[in-house]
Amino acid sequence: MNALPLVSTEVGARLRDLHLVARRAAGGDGLGQHASRSRGAGLEFAQYRAYEPGDEPRRIDWKLFARSDRYFVREAERDSPLCAWLLLDATASMRQVDQARPRYTKLDAAKLIAACVIELALRQGDRFGVAALGGKPALHLPTASGARARDRCMAALAALEPSGRWPGDADMAPLWNGLRGDALVLVLSDFFDDAAVDVAERLAGAGREVLTIQLLGADERDFPFRGGHRFHDPETGAERRVDAAAVRGDFLARFGAARAALARRLAARGIRHVEHVLDEPVDAPLRRLFGTPRA
Amino acid sequence: MSFVLLAPFGLFALAALALPLAIHLIRKPDPASLEFAALRWISPRQRPQRRWWFERPWLLLLRLVLLGAIALLLARPAWIDEAPAARARAFVAPGADRAAVHAAMDGRDVELHWLAAGFPSFEAAPPALVPLASLLREADAQAPPDVHLTVMVPRDLAGLDGERVALSHAVEWIVVAGTMRPAPAPTASPLRFAVRHGADTAALPYLRAAVAAWNGQGDAPVQLDEGNLGEPLPADTRWLAWLAPEVPQAVATWIAAGGHAVLVQQGESSGEPLWRDARGVVVARSGARGRGRVVALRGALAPADLPQVLDATFPQRLRDALEGDAPAPSLAAAVDVAPIAQAGAAAGGDLGARRRHPLDARLGLLVALLFLFERVLAGHRPAARG
Repeated sequence: MNALPLVSTEVGARLRDLHLVARRAAGGDGLGQHASRSRGAGLEFAQYRAYEPGDEPRRIDWKLFARSDRYFVREAERDSPLCAWLLLDATASMRQVDQARPRYTKLDAAKLIAACVIELALRQGDRFGVAALGGKPALHLPTASGARARDRCMAALAALEPSGRWPGDADMAPLWNGLRGDALVLVLSDFFDDAAVDVAERLAGAGREVLTIQLLGADERDFPFRGGHRFHDPETGAERRVDAAAVRGDFLARFGAARAALARRLAARGIRHVEHVLDEPVDAPLRRLFGTPRA
Repeated sequence: MSFVLLAPFGLFALAALALPLAIHLIRKPDPASLEFAALRWISPRQRPQRRWWFERPWLLLLRLVLLGAIALLLARPAWIDEAPAARARAFVAPGADRAAVHAAMDGRDVELHWLAAGFPSFEAAPPALVPLASLLREADAQAPPDVHLTVMVPRDLAGLDGERVALSHAVEWIVVAGTMRPAPAPTASPLRFAVRHGADTAALPYLRAAVAAWNGQGDAPVQLDEGNLGEPLPADTRWLAWLAPEVPQAVATWIAAGGHAVLVQQGESSGEPLWRDARGVVVARSGARGRGRVVALRGALAPADLPQVLDATFPQRLRDALEGDAPAPSLAAAVDVAPIAQAGAAAGGDLGARRRHPLDARLGLLVALLFLFERVLAGHRPAARG
């Protein structure tokens, strides 16, 4: 049973200066960043309030004036311009751990990052939704905002266990339907499966702003194994008996090439791509994505 | 110096090397299966790691060395000292042709000695006939261990004895021209055969016939000296026929002093049966008496008592009986009597055995030390398997 992927206070403090920013919205209309919550003209009714001098006369609800003989201004909740979608890869390969930290899986790191993003979105008043590809139990929470939505997401994330393989297109149909056009999609995956890259590319092709965080184990980065090892692939079940020292150089070269190829492929689609190694703090990839670039 | 194995079959013990190898051969435990999602980037050409390995290789090595040393110990290694032998000595048997000896020794750095009492130098005068076999043994016994004996002998050897000469040294047996055969004696004066007879002279024709037969055969001539019983015996009488039953004391003394005599009508006598009558009764015996010999007849020397006098073989048998044992043959062909290696000396002679230095003791010490080390190392189990 995994611990609740709560954002620690330390990480939460470091998140304070981060803002979820859609590239498209940033500085687009000259009004600055998207407001977290603003009231004004809109479709969704929010509240009535007493007229104050300076309010536009056309916003006065005349029917209510007729009933109550007072001026009330009808306020509507304006839609947040940002809708953060968290797409977690929960296939079996996300069960990968580092030898130094055998209880901290890639999925755990993905959950933590997702929790951080949810906290950010909540703080900014943005909407957020979470979906998992693969994994048990199936997780697909439609976008919502507010603390209750956050708690629902956190509980669902806590219950998520990695299993299975990348789902087929048929299983992903509800996901496509739930994605709004202006969504900011954050894909958290190891991207070992080409299908994950495909999904990111299709989302980007469909006009969503896609951000990808590739989760890497420190073992995969450094290959610190010595002597004989028996490795098995959690998804395919393939098993190899290797002499670690002999394969290390070749593996690092091939794996590095694969990572570089992935970064190029995603960049070609306009996808912002960062890597997160499990021994880094979880806010590091977010800082690379959303933080202010420091000179 | 060279290295030899005295018992090379001991090396079969090297087969025991398989034992520690089998003991130390272990199958590496399967490493725990590890999840590794990035498996597909590990090169597929990588050979799988070998799974059989030797446990505690240093101990194994020590055990192999120990077993190898034991096998070597069983094979009995030795150093052969191949230092040049001391100056060879050559012995020349008397009778060897001097020129032939020099020809055989041409260019060789050897000391030449006569094979004679005291082993005089070859430059000295040739010695007389010698007990050759005895001198050979003496030379063998006196020679230093490393000396290679060279013996030059003439074609015919004398002075041998009944035993084949066996020497502890390696011997080079060179046969050269010459002989030890004594020069044929000049025609000796006839051998005097005295016949003393009484009144009865019936035996005389048979004796005369025998002497005539002897003289006709080319042997040493025999001079017959007939006379009455009273006639004195000449001093050079070798043989005597006393044709009377009574043998006087003088004749008996003469016989005991070395005379060979034929006596008649002796009744029972000692000696080997010489002739038997038709019934198998021994009628004549020959045997030694004192230093002389006696052919004693039971009856008279006449066909009635001794039918064999009529045989053609009578003269020869009588002569053989009178002469007694023929001297043992003393001449032999040199090539047939080459000394043999003494029993107990290995092939190559005792020469090799003396220069051989067995390494058993040192190797045994090495084995003991190795065993000690092995025990120490085996008892010290490392905390973690290396």
